[in-house]
Amino acid sequence: MSKVVNIAVASVGGQGGLTLSRILAVAAVLDGHSVRTGETLGMSQRFGSVISYVRIGRKVLSPTFSVGEADFLLGLELVESVRALPLLRSSGIAIVADTLKIPISASLEKRVLRVDELSKELMKVSKTVIVPASKMARDVGNPRAANMVILGVFQGISGLLTETSVRRAISEVVPSKWLETSLRAFSEGLRYSPSGQQ
Amino acid sequence: MFNPLKAPEGVKTALMGNEAIARGFVEAGVSVVVGYPGTPSSEVIASLHEYGVSSEIYVEWAVNERVAFEIAYGAAIVGARAAATMKAPGASVALDPMVSSAYGGVEGGLVVLVADDPGPHTTQTEQDNRWLGFLAKLPVVTPSSPQEAKDLAVSAFDMSEELKLPVILRTTTRVNHTVGEVLLGQVRPPKRVSGFRKDVPRFVRAGMAWNLERHRWLDKQLNIAEEVFDRVSRVRNIVEGSGRFCIVTEGSAYNYVREVVDEVGVETRVVKLSLLFPPPRRFLAEAVEGCTDVLVIEELDPYLELVVKSLLSELGVSTRVFGKVSGHIPLEGELNRGLVREAIASLVSGAPSGTPKETQSKPIPGVPSRPPPMCPGCPHRSMYVAMLIGVSKAGYKRGDVPVFGDIGCYALASQPPLEAIWTEHSMGASISMAMGAKVAGFEGPVIAVIGDSTFYHAGIQPLIEAVHKRVDILVVVADNSVVAMTGHQSTPAWPTLESGRRAKPVAIEDLLRAIGVDHVEVVDPYDVDRMVSAFERLIRQPGVKVLVSKHPCALLEARSRSVRRYRVVEDKCTGCLACIRVTGCPAMSYNGEKVVISSDDCAGCGLCARFCPYGAIEVVGSE
Repeated sequence: MSKVVNIAVASVGGQGGLTLSRILAVAAVLDGHSVRTGETLGMSQRFGSVISYVRIGRKVLSPTFSVGEADFLLGLELVESVRALPLLRSSGIAIVADTLKIPISASLEKRVLRVDELSKELMKVSKTVIVPASKMARDVGNPRAANMVILGVFQGISGLLTETSVRRAISEVVPSKWLETSLRAFSEGLRYSPSGQQ
Repeated sequence: MFNPLKAPEGVKTALMGNEAIARGFVEAGVSVVVGYPGTPSSEVIASLHEYGVSSEIYVEWAVNERVAFEIAYGAAIVGARAAATMKAPGASVALDPMVSSAYGGVEGGLVVLVADDPGPHTTQTEQDNRWLGFLAKLPVVTPSSPQEAKDLAVSAFDMSEELKLPVILRTTTRVNHTVGEVLLGQVRPPKRVSGFRKDVPRFVRAGMAWNLERHRWLDKQLNIAEEVFDRVSRVRNIVEGSGRFCIVTEGSAYNYVREVVDEVGVETRVVKLSLLFPPPRRFLAEAVEGCTDVLVIEELDPYLELVVKSLLSELGVSTRVFGKVSGHIPLEGELNRGLVREAIASLVSGAPSGTPKETQSKPIPGVPSRPPPMCPGCPHRSMYVAMLIGVSKAGYKRGDVPVFGDIGCYALASQPPLEAIWTEHSMGASISMAMGAKVAGFEGPVIAVIGDSTFYHAGIQPLIEAVHKRVDILVVVADNSVVAMTGHQSTPAWPTLESGRRAKPVAIEDLLRAIGVDHVEVVDPYDVDRMVSAFERLIRQPGVKVLVSKHPCALLEARSRSVRRYRVVEDKCTGCLACIRVTGCPAMSYNGEKVVISSDDCAGCGLCARFCPYGAIEVVGSE
């Protein structure tokens, strides 16, 4: 890998965005790459905006990157994905779950947010794949595994890491009681074909 | 799951900086690790608990950082290898014993992890603890990556034992919370007590002649610190490249410098320090020899900049030094590659500039903000709602009764719609600051809100002060039986600790009664009506009143028992939003016509149902 690949992971606290970035990091090291992730954790960030930076390459030192430098945006929620969109470079690819969690600040102002409008917003400015990740995760019996579905779609599109390493990384990071359904959610994502989308 | 503490030497894996430090402590043969939770330092002890260590190693949370440091110091003077961990403000809590420890010194290695937070991301100030070197006269070392964090954690012990001084392992968030590849090293057996030789002049600070003598000893040790560091540390002070344009840097800032210098391709000499105190004068003098311009790139204060300037002035060299004082590097906030690139471009002709600076997208118009709220079912939310109603029922306006907050999840009540607290200052300050307002003549009632762990940490003494001086004050102890904000660590009320060790619970109610509080009442905040009437009554009563708002953290409660969930009956909901405006619960949202409750997120506290004027919210399954 000659250049550093930058991945932004946007989520709402509690959705498993940090687990996703950790799996990418573990898989990258298994594949012999250098990796850094940048995130801040610890404050009760459940239900708050969470952005995680992942950088993979031959030699990586900085844990973050700037606006316009991400090659991929992995979004677990629509509002957060729109918020993180400026990080994506113009040639970048966004892979986003069609999950909408309306922030309290919007409800307090009676602002209405809709899945189709936010999806359209994302499609307008980048190559975007919208994935019914929550439904797919529910279908494999683990509603919390939408992050693994997105990881699977990313694996299918990018081919950045070897599938063997990603699967092994999942088993190193995910607690055993969720492992089987997490791997299945990953497989579902891998098989997902974004037909009819740009 | 992979266990980074038990994996053998030679394995390379991705570790978070704090996990790497935990591994480093184990590799160094630590036998006592104590700390108080605080972002970004908490995962060191949390990983030792999660992944498990030999029963020969004592790993526990202490009641506060000062106690943690003193336990570690006590262990180190009897020959054990010991570590204490804390966030930046925690180092101030531990400062008194830390300063004295430099005079007594140690036998077993003692490493103090102090995690600073440029940004700041999760800390009240951008306190720069590199100054602890000059202030406490203790060696300070710093890593730039998870690998270096692990290796320095080991080397700091060797250095500490050789110098017989505690060593400060100073990190920043971008090392503590960064995941990167780490090559694991060999694990040494825990170094436990070796004996305690009585040495009064060394360990008793009551004799002034002894203190003067020990100060002289300390300065002698600091004089050899650079030589010892060079000999024992696996992470070195280094010079990369050559040229007359020089950059002096350390820690996280080095990562940005290295990448930018490589991208820009301008001939640059990069000097990276890992030993920050005492300043490695011999190394530095050689490293900057022949430099015509020196740019110091660092986060927080211009610490290295002043060190470099003072050294050059001593050497009689008139090299120009740029950095924070000259305005090339910002004094506030954390660095990134864009800022570093711009600083270099402004000094070196031909260096390209013009890259974006921001690592976080600016707020986009139309995208609603999402600051961290209190979780669905959070007992603090119910308590605050009851408080605000109780205040008005007692005949006061919300704006007339100041609420002094403290440090913990309950400070999230500063956000809309509750906007309940007026201050959040430092651990324990809610009670003493509320008292300060009263003794200064504030006439109306005052309320202090403090969490259970914060009360144990630094709230007990202020309460003694308030009781003793007969101040009229209402204190709420928001007791959710856990240190919630930093990731659910144990409190002194727990009977069994994360390590599996049995403990004797220290009950808050017993403490309150022993201190002599005039009126103690314990109420479950889920019982909103009882809570409202308790507030209404207590706020008018004279004396020191403590209302213990007692209900487990909703996140933990949901794990231990099945929760009922609520739903909105569509026919009855008018979309008036009373439920959302009262509670601000993130499980609820407005879809344009009605309110929706997310069944994934509802924790079943029922607060919203209590405030729906149309009875439109009911328990799922009750229809």
